[in-house]
Amino acid sequence: MDNPIKTTQDKKSYLDLRKKERVTLLEILDRALTKGVVISGDIVISVADVDLVYLGLRVLLSSVETMEHLRGAPMPGATEEPT
Amino acid sequence: MIAVKELLYLYCVTKDSLPSYDFADLGVKVELVYFQGTYAVISSVSPEDFSEINLKRHLTDMSWVERNIRLHEKVIEKIMKEQTVLPFKFGTVFECKANVEKLLKANNLEFKTVLDFLEGKEERGLKIYCSSEYFKDTLCSKNERIIAQDKEILAAGPGKAFFLKKKKEEIVKDIINEKISEYTKDCFERLKIVAVNAKINNILPKEVTEKKEDMVLNAAFLISSKRIKEFENVISCLKAKYADKGLIFDCTGPWPPYNFCKQVSQI
Repeated sequence: MDNPIKTTQDKKSYLDLRKKERVTLLEILDRALTKGVVISGDIVISVADVDLVYLGLRVLLSSVETMEHLRGAPMPGATEEPT
Repeated sequence: MIAVKELLYLYCVTKDSLPSYDFADLGVKVELVYFQGTYAVISSVSPEDFSEINLKRHLTDMSWVERNIRLHEKVIEKIMKEQTVLPFKFGTVFECKANVEKLLKANNLEFKTVLDFLEGKEERGLKIYCSSEYFKDTLCSKNERIIAQDKEILAAGPGKAFFLKKKKEEIVKDIINEKISEYTKDCFERLKIVAVNAKINNILPKEVTEKKEDMVLNAAFLISSKRIKEFENVISCLKAKYADKGLIFDCTGPWPPYNFCKQVSQI
């Protein structure tokens, strides 16, 4: 697969986009997870589960950071000649 | 009978049928369950995703949560363009249509009342962040209590100065907190005047917001569509008023009225 990030400019706009996406994800989580009509449906996620998601979000955010670092570095094996 | 049991995911309740069932762009096949003037907008989901045990397991998988919660939001937002919606919390799942109908039946009057109330109104979000460093610099150089404390520190011997400095830090913290609550209260109250309803939500920690500034206000407003311009004007005024005080305004919306449908929380 092609690495979509070719130049510094591309990388910058990619990071900006990721950041923007993260912000809207946070906004959605802040609403759809904790608010909205809550009923005792057959299955409905509880408050304790919501904390789990926030925890998950933190893990995701740190993994995105790591991913961005990795993307900045050349991919191992990417420059190798096919044998 | 179907061999693989399907579950039904509930997005929102409306008072009118959908003008279009075409949700193909979102990859969802939406269906309606009707009961006396209310419609439940549902779609079939797989137990792999939404059975109680699997749902709990998936909640730790952020890419699963992101994909599904964005879909939840997109479906509701698409319907919201055409009509008033009563959005449900993410992850409201039923085993059969009869149970969805039971819900509509049990809450018929309440759903209708809230939908009538929400008609012609929209939810907007406002999060205010504050750069406390910036705040410290601009505020402390002008504050009388701090200037007086600084003078005392200069006049004191080294031992006493140490304690006075500690005390100063506390004073600074107090003043910052005082000022922040004064500013955010002012913002909230001014916006509340143009809103039908307003709500203050929990502050989210930095680990989740990923901002270097602290969140100091997390509010939601329900605004009559006729007064949206007015609301936006107040926001602009507040931005201008607090621009040099380190406050950063993050306005979002229109949102489905997640924050203003609590009246129907009991069944």
